[in-house]
Amino acid sequence: MREFDDSLPSVNRRSFLQGASAAGITAAAGCLGGGGGGDGRVPMDVEEWPPEDIGGSLNMWNWYDSWAEWAMEAFGEEFDVEVSNTGYSSPDQWYSQLEAGNSDIDNIAATTNWVERSIENDFLHELPVDIMPAWDNITDRIKEASSYQKDGSVYAVPESLVLYPLTYNDEYFDEAPSSWGVLWDEEHEGNICMWDNATVSCQIAAMYTGQDPIQPDDYEEIEEVLIQQKPLLQTYWGDYQQGMSLFVNEDVVAGPLTMGRTYTARFGEGAPVHYTAPEEGAMYTSDLFVIPKGSPNPIASLQFTNWATETENAAKLFETMGYQPAVDISDELSEEDAEFTNWPDDWNLIFSETLSDEVRSRYDEIWTAVKAA
Amino acid sequence: MAEASGEGGASDAGARAGDRTAALTSFFRDHPRLRTLAVAGPPYAVLLLFFAIPLLAMLVVSFQTGEIGGPWTLRNYMDFLGSSTYLTVVWKTLVISVQVTFIVAVIGYALAYSIVRFSRRTTLLLLLVILPFWTSYIIRMYAWINILQSDGVLDSTLNMLGLPAVSLLYSDPAVLIGFTYVWLPLAVLPFYASLTNLDGDLIEASKDLGAGPVRTFLSVTLPMTINGVVTGVILVFIPTFGSFITPRLLGGTNNIMIGMVIENQFKSAFNWPFGAAIGMVISVVVVALLVLGTRLGGGLFATGGEEA
Repeated sequence: MREFDDSLPSVNRRSFLQGASAAGITAAAGCLGGGGGGDGRVPMDVEEWPPEDIGGSLNMWNWYDSWAEWAMEAFGEEFDVEVSNTGYSSPDQWYSQLEAGNSDIDNIAATTNWVERSIENDFLHELPVDIMPAWDNITDRIKEASSYQKDGSVYAVPESLVLYPLTYNDEYFDEAPSSWGVLWDEEHEGNICMWDNATVSCQIAAMYTGQDPIQPDDYEEIEEVLIQQKPLLQTYWGDYQQGMSLFVNEDVVAGPLTMGRTYTARFGEGAPVHYTAPEEGAMYTSDLFVIPKGSPNPIASLQFTNWATETENAAKLFETMGYQPAVDISDELSEEDAEFTNWPDDWNLIFSETLSDEVRSRYDEIWTAVKAA
Repeated sequence: MAEASGEGGASDAGARAGDRTAALTSFFRDHPRLRTLAVAGPPYAVLLLFFAIPLLAMLVVSFQTGEIGGPWTLRNYMDFLGSSTYLTVVWKTLVISVQVTFIVAVIGYALAYSIVRFSRRTTLLLLLVILPFWTSYIIRMYAWINILQSDGVLDSTLNMLGLPAVSLLYSDPAVLIGFTYVWLPLAVLPFYASLTNLDGDLIEASKDLGAGPVRTFLSVTLPMTINGVVTGVILVFIPTFGSFITPRLLGGTNNIMIGMVIENQFKSAFNWPFGAAIGMVISVVVVALLVLGTRLGGGLFATGGEEA
């Protein structure tokens, strides 16, 4: 950087104004979240891999806390980037920032329906997945299921599969319950729980009553069975930690829980739990990496997205959080982990598509009525 | 250059600053309205910026359809006020809030009274009262889960004493315990402040005139500290009415509160206008209840005071 030198010729007024205008426009573009990063590049400007000059910092929002903690250090050391992570408990925390004009967040691990909303509202950078080496690691199954495209452009890279199975105490049950009906069985009164989540609970009730959980045809039946179930329950859990604790403390023997929390309960807390997809089906969704517009370090974020999708780094996600990465990690798993995570091919899994406004609204009304009953 | 000016320069600067202050004082003396604006303006600006404008924005959103910026409608209010389900939730919330406020007021008043009247270590005791505020709300709730759950701290203690376990977690009493614990400091502090200012001679006079402890309390102590009581009640009632974390973590299947419904509209149902409409109705209900309660309470205690 050149030091100030009194001997330099003075700058004339016109040159100064031109320079000041350019600086002002550049600064304004930065403040307005132009999304070009420090040198103005966006992810689609990267034509060859690896990208050059990825920058020195990365601000990510990833709610897989343990994995993010590890990734911050590993990625930071490998690429000489200073990485920070903001864990979040609810997607609206980052979504509201995108709505307000993002200028801080470089990389988000976001659930499918929020990615769809973000794509529809033009909040995300398009990604050059064709030149990203790790893109080929993503399994066809999740590529087909996830929503990350619009008009042929790709806006997200799948990070993980999130299964909403029936979790059960495998010491209490001789074999995995085959039906969601176990949550309506009076034999288990006081020992079962439901998730305090309108969509999840109504979808379980829809599957139990033989309806399509995405587009049900008999809302009254869903409400009726959920009210019938209420006296049998110990509680509705509203927080993931609380849900896991119910199983760890053996307060309940069956109920909905995520696969990741079931994994943590089993291997991290030593709880006798396992999970299954009942014959009526189980819902699943995906979390995806996205680079929001306004990102101050979009190229570093692109590099991180590719790095996180490399098999050994993706495998770490399963090891730390218990969620199935979007990458085939079967070669990286221990025998115990492989036994836990390999789902039978014949499981009836239903992708949790974004619900229509009408269905979401009806589910919400039903759930409020059930809880108020 | 500053050194060259020396002491004389500093003295000149001081004199100039003094002149400016005098001129400013004189200016405001001559313009009383501007003076009022300068004093009252900043707090009003803060209220306008962080209270009135957000409330107005919420009011506007509550008349929109589906999402922010949607067509105008009254439907959100009609759906809410026309639904027995939501009104049931409001009623349940009201019942829980009144229960919590009553319990906190009784315990808080007794605690504040004992600190003021019977202890010399008031600072230490007040510090202990506000100590829980230094810990995260969520962590405090999880602590109560550990205490109240089956085979938790409470049950283990009861078992040690040869008493049967109670397993209070996920029940109505658990919610009341959680709320009472969380809001107690909010009530104790205003109670303490009002009791500190109570003139002890009045109590002595009441006793000299033949009043027993209960009559003295009802005729002198309570009326003389009613402002603190009302403040404490307001500080407890309002946050309880809007709560959603405590009933969610400690309550069972029957502990729904309107705060949980509003939270759900914003975070899961994505129906912000409906959530805003519920929020507006609840705000009106809470303010109306508080005005009513304050007037009723004040009237009752005023009567008591006259009798005394």
